[in-house]
Amino acid sequence: MRETYDAIIVGAGHNGLTLGAYLARSGLDTVVLERRHEEGGGLATEELTLSGFLHNVHANYHTFVDLAPPVRDLEIRRHGAEYVRPEVQMASVFDDGTALTIHDDLDRTVESMARFDEEDAETFRRLYIEAHGYVDLLLGTLMYQPPMSVKELTRALASFGVEDRSEFLSVKLRRESIDQFLDQHFKHPKIKAHLAFHAGICGYTTDVKGLAIGFPLLVGKIDNWHLCVGGSHRVAHALWRDLAQHGGTLISDAEVDHIVVDGNRAVGVRLSDGTELTARKLVASTVDVEQTFLRFLNPGDVPPELAERVRTAVKHKDWTLFSVHLAMTAPPAYEAASFDPDVDRAWVVNLGYGSPADLDEDWRLVRRGLLPEPHPNAAVNTLYDPTDAPAGRFTGLLRQFAPFVLAEGGEGEWDSIARWYGERCIRAWRRYAPNITDDVILDWVPYTPLEIARKIVNMVGGDWMMGEISLDNMLDQRPLPELSQYRTPIDALYLAGSTQHPHGFITFGPAYNALQVIADDLGLKPWWRRV
Amino acid sequence: MADVYTEEWFQAVRAAINAKVASLRDVPTASILIAVDIAGDAVSPYVEAGKERHFLVQIDDGHCSWYREGKPDETQELSFRFLGPAAAFDEVAAGLLDPIDAALRGTIRVRGDMRFLMRQADHVKALLDAYRTIETTWPRGGPPYLFEHEPLDA
Repeated sequence: MRETYDAIIVGAGHNGLTLGAYLARSGLDTVVLERRHEEGGGLATEELTLSGFLHNVHANYHTFVDLAPPVRDLEIRRHGAEYVRPEVQMASVFDDGTALTIHDDLDRTVESMARFDEEDAETFRRLYIEAHGYVDLLLGTLMYQPPMSVKELTRALASFGVEDRSEFLSVKLRRESIDQFLDQHFKHPKIKAHLAFHAGICGYTTDVKGLAIGFPLLVGKIDNWHLCVGGSHRVAHALWRDLAQHGGTLISDAEVDHIVVDGNRAVGVRLSDGTELTARKLVASTVDVEQTFLRFLNPGDVPPELAERVRTAVKHKDWTLFSVHLAMTAPPAYEAASFDPDVDRAWVVNLGYGSPADLDEDWRLVRRGLLPEPHPNAAVNTLYDPTDAPAGRFTGLLRQFAPFVLAEGGEGEWDSIARWYGERCIRAWRRYAPNITDDVILDWVPYTPLEIARKIVNMVGGDWMMGEISLDNMLDQRPLPELSQYRTPIDALYLAGSTQHPHGFITFGPAYNALQVIADDLGLKPWWRRV
Repeated sequence: MADVYTEEWFQAVRAAINAKVASLRDVPTASILIAVDIAGDAVSPYVEAGKERHFLVQIDDGHCSWYREGKPDETQELSFRFLGPAAAFDEVAAGLLDPIDAALRGTIRVRGDMRFLMRQADHVKALLDAYRTIETTWPRGGPPYLFEHEPLDA
């Protein structure tokens, strides 16, 4: 192992790899260090059940792939990552045997909704068309740029007269919940239930005040979900290839013990095996701020008030995900297919949330550390990616909104109840798809919130978003106002992980935005299209 | 009166911007380079279908220093990029399509730092207004196109 690099990046999740690849292409001698045995972080695909069955352990859903500049700049497709956009994106099946389906075609989605309520369906059409327009504007000018404040954003809505031009956007949304937004614009509980469920999939809790401001954007991406062929890890591999082809280095099993600071400047890292690496130009951390400031840095290197705020003011999600990964001989055949046959082709299915109130009840239980009666969502990737399972076989993924710390027994209790709760989730699926019998299930494994935190240690408390999604933890408030612009109080130490704007998910945004700041600081001449 | 997308028209746009900006109390003290990438859409006669034309606008301390046709990806030192179908840009120039509406509807796509757009909203509005006040002539036929073709945001 060489000992000196221009840039040292801590963490080889998609943000670490992305930043590494850009810097390597910029001519910097770059190393990306990964604690685990492989790169990718949340982009992990493993044969969790049986040989030949590829399960996305964390990130399964990819959105706005073609709006993310790194997909183009780093030639991710040329490096082997291929995406499909399922024709039937998502669905909800309800207790009365009906189903609602979301298609990659707006007219078909509206048709499905109109079976429940024609007026709501037309409202959805207008909302989608409106949101689809400004999704592009906001992603193009907000997501892939360092963040501004919510106040500035809402002031801008006023100064450009956006409220007058929009049926759905309004400054008052910053005081309202998604539930309130739905109640103001829609009538039918099942249509509202599906839209609320989709918000949950996006990480938005539907009863939290202020999140209504983001809801139109969520509608704008309701049919923009993509699946990575061969497993999400292909994206990580593509990024690694780009890094390697441009002279960058990835070192796995390289646990950082310490960020070395000299005179308030980050000058390198020390690994847990004692190896010291020197950074000529920068160190970038893509892991959680708690590790970065409270573990990797000496207390004397961190301003005490910052250390205190990292300890007490960094906000994490108050719910996480319990998963069940399955290997199966058949895809689900939903009873609701007699109502809407397309439900059997839906990639992701909401099992039984029939109104926003159902979801709200689960949020309340989860906040108290209680386990909800399972209403998991079920994804069958094989429907759109037959390469993820042996011929004629299928993978399944159930995900249930769940607490990290259980009221009885704490987080450690997950190890004891994982199989029991997993069986309940499977039974919940079987209620709507009776063919998912024990004979059809070749094998299954639970994957608990505790395992999320164990495997990906920067997902603190199973926080797969690496930070709460709330009005006071977005844009320039994320993860703390003083850390929101990717720089830190320590010279040459940057933050480039999902703790930063925009947020978690596979957006590449934190790394891309940190890159702009680093490029400005180092005087790098951008070879990439900055706008 | 200037033919659209000619040197004379660029100068007219420049003069209109500078006249508008002169009345503003507050203008940004920065150099801003804007790219306008116009895609041929088989509707506008000014850009061949399937081809693109590229324009660059340099704004210094709020004023337009120059406006000219450029080459694709001529420079990466851009502050903003506007992209869209030629008919949309023609209709904005003709005062028939509101540019803010066009951006909100995704007809014209905007890339760049929203912080600047937000903080300099009055200046941005002045630039957009100026663009629409030019007396433009349309030697190959001009907008409105919307009435003869599918709506642009369809």
